[in-house]
Amino acid sequence: MTDNTIIDVRGLTYRYRREAPHPVLQNISLQIDRNDYLLITGRSGSGKSTLCRTFNGLIPHFYGGVLSGDVVVDGHPVSRTAVADLFDRVGMVFQNPDVQLFCRTVEQEIVFGLESLGLDRPAIEDRLGTALEAAGIDGLRQRAPQTLSGGEKHLVLIAALLALRPRVIVLDEPFANLDPANVLRVRSLLKKLHGDGYGIIICEHRLSRAAPDATRVVVVHQGQIVADGAPDQILPQADPQWGLEAPLATRIGTALGLTPAPLVIDELEGAAPQPDLIDRLEPPLPEAVGGHPPAPAIAVEHLGCHAAGRDLLKDISFTLAPGECIAVVGANGAGKTTLLRHLIGLQRPTSGRIRVNGHDSARIPVSDLARDVGLAFQNPDNQFFRFTVDQEIRVGPEALGKLESAWIEELVALFQLADFRSKAPYRLSGGEKKRVAFASALAARPAVLALDEPTAGQDFEFRRNLRIFLRQMQARGQAILIVTHDLTFAERTTSRWLLMAEGCLLADARPEQIMADTALMARAGLEATDRFRLARRWQPKGHHA
Amino acid sequence: MLDPRTKLLLTLAYGTLIALTRKPEWLLAQWAVLLGAVLAMGQFKAYLRWLAMLAPMALFFGGVTWWSTDLPTGRSAAVSLIAITTAFFVFFAGTDPEDLGNSLVRAGLPFPVAFVMTAALQFAPVLGRKTRSVIEAQQARGIVLKPGWRAFKNYPALLTPLLIQSFQMADALAEAMEARGFGRTGRSFRKVYRMGVLDWLAIIGGWAAVWGLATFVVR
Repeated sequence: MTDNTIIDVRGLTYRYRREAPHPVLQNISLQIDRNDYLLITGRSGSGKSTLCRTFNGLIPHFYGGVLSGDVVVDGHPVSRTAVADLFDRVGMVFQNPDVQLFCRTVEQEIVFGLESLGLDRPAIEDRLGTALEAAGIDGLRQRAPQTLSGGEKHLVLIAALLALRPRVIVLDEPFANLDPANVLRVRSLLKKLHGDGYGIIICEHRLSRAAPDATRVVVVHQGQIVADGAPDQILPQADPQWGLEAPLATRIGTALGLTPAPLVIDELEGAAPQPDLIDRLEPPLPEAVGGHPPAPAIAVEHLGCHAAGRDLLKDISFTLAPGECIAVVGANGAGKTTLLRHLIGLQRPTSGRIRVNGHDSARIPVSDLARDVGLAFQNPDNQFFRFTVDQEIRVGPEALGKLESAWIEELVALFQLADFRSKAPYRLSGGEKKRVAFASALAARPAVLALDEPTAGQDFEFRRNLRIFLRQMQARGQAILIVTHDLTFAERTTSRWLLMAEGCLLADARPEQIMADTALMARAGLEATDRFRLARRWQPKGHHA
Repeated sequence: MLDPRTKLLLTLAYGTLIALTRKPEWLLAQWAVLLGAVLAMGQFKAYLRWLAMLAPMALFFGGVTWWSTDLPTGRSAAVSLIAITTAFFVFFAGTDPEDLGNSLVRAGLPFPVAFVMTAALQFAPVLGRKTRSVIEAQQARGIVLKPGWRAFKNYPALLTPLLIQSFQMADALAEAMEARGFGRTGRSFRKVYRMGVLDWLAIIGGWAAVWGLATFVVR
């Protein structure tokens, strides 16, 4: 422990319930300095969020459970200090911003904590103004928090903490639901705050977004710390058991024997180009087999949607054939979800039409359209209401009169659900719930499978398995449409992208063709993937994607 | 501007007047005054949506009263219910729930109680959005949830996810509040809530008017 230590975790072991067979955290010891930008990482369920909740005393005071050892924050042992006495030392932003914003305006959100501190009016006004300015959200002062974008909500929450002038700011998966532009916005604010002297702790498993800014990384695996050090030291030697994927630049740099290992592709500037290495580490999708294309499973013709005085969709046309897997990509608010809602009939076109299996979908009720288009929503909790996973998968086809038990068994095997088919869906982990939702969406054998942000908040292992599931479904002739702003996943999974911005379809082409057009990508508010940028940089002169 | 507590007391006064009114023409006149306020506040669309939700309850209430008494009483009961709730619609449309809560704390209400009240108001639209999401998620897999007999047996598909997620949201909200110092004693308030002369005059005048009208005019 040094003079700089702000959080000192001493032999911490914790169980949420006394009768739990294994502790969530086991004998953790960790000193966090006030000038650390610490990335706590590990696969889903490894215990990283639980660890963070001990830093401000939510564990044990809010959650109960059994805790041994202790966490000392700025000289105060959390086991004997109330959360109310720690909240201005360690500020915390949780994963879902919607439930943390409980005031009517942005201004009131920030003022809430200051009133909790019992400050007088001039001090409140002073800190409010400073926090709004530091977070760059002065213009949002009177806005209702629930009307803001995901990135803006995170900035408001960070501003609410900044006003309290804590020593450390802890963020639990801050990038999980953000599009690339908002990720950059939050990242640049956190970097600035770190520069201003705030300690930053981020819990995240998407290393390419969090590792480059961090000064230190701690890996939590099965409730224990298995690695602790500088990112360029730890990430090159990441154990496959940890379920992490180091940034592409780090993997390439490690393969090339570079030290220190690069964390971003710009750090590979001086390295000798090795395009084959990229393909070895991240194999490209196989080229589509030529031949006569089958009749489209879905055909969208000049689709338009006008609502609330503006055009939400403008003249969108595309087709999706059986056995094809395509992605609809774009920033938040580009119209991706609106398009998806039209495909499943939750919204109806104001112009143009959608043909599903050759039939105009405008005449088909939503609940009947479910026979042809299976949709897995981003939040599977919205659909679970049966007692077991097995019942949950069957309920859709039963309602549609399309239950085929043999097919359900195939889905259970494909999505590896056999071990928990008699469990209650709400008791599953986030990734397991998603798999149940995918199986449910496919249970009525729809012609089209649509997935809404399937990778949001999911770890590397889930994303790798999802790619395998999707390839298997594709090989069976399933038409698949994925709505996402996770371009890395889309690049490695789909052969065609529909690029959207401001309700328009800007491009319908292969991913590399779209990413090669920098003006188009800028208009869509997106950035090319690391893989694409490095491949371009390393390709021999005279070649173009 | 009037203090939120004054607005609340005036709304209660108007509600009392409506509840004491027996003459149908006066009931309609009181409702019309409120409709004027709704229009002036630019809340007519929101009011219509709210009225559409309230109408079945008002019809049921009026029907039961008619069944147990007579048609004019049943009709008055239905209009009274709509008018009283319209008075509160106007109140909430023109009052910041946090202002109301904080001013009541100033009047002696414990902060946790006031906060629960204001948070419930804040989260009503969030729950509304959640309800829509659940309905859409179920419809997208063939489970009908539109009003009607066919949908009746499917209501667990709406209520179960909604109930479970409401509990989850309440937990997450409580955690977030705790992390922002909800449990700390010695809370201060940015706004100063003070009942002025105008507030007292409005309260006394409002309740006196209710007494006068109820005694001599509307019964």
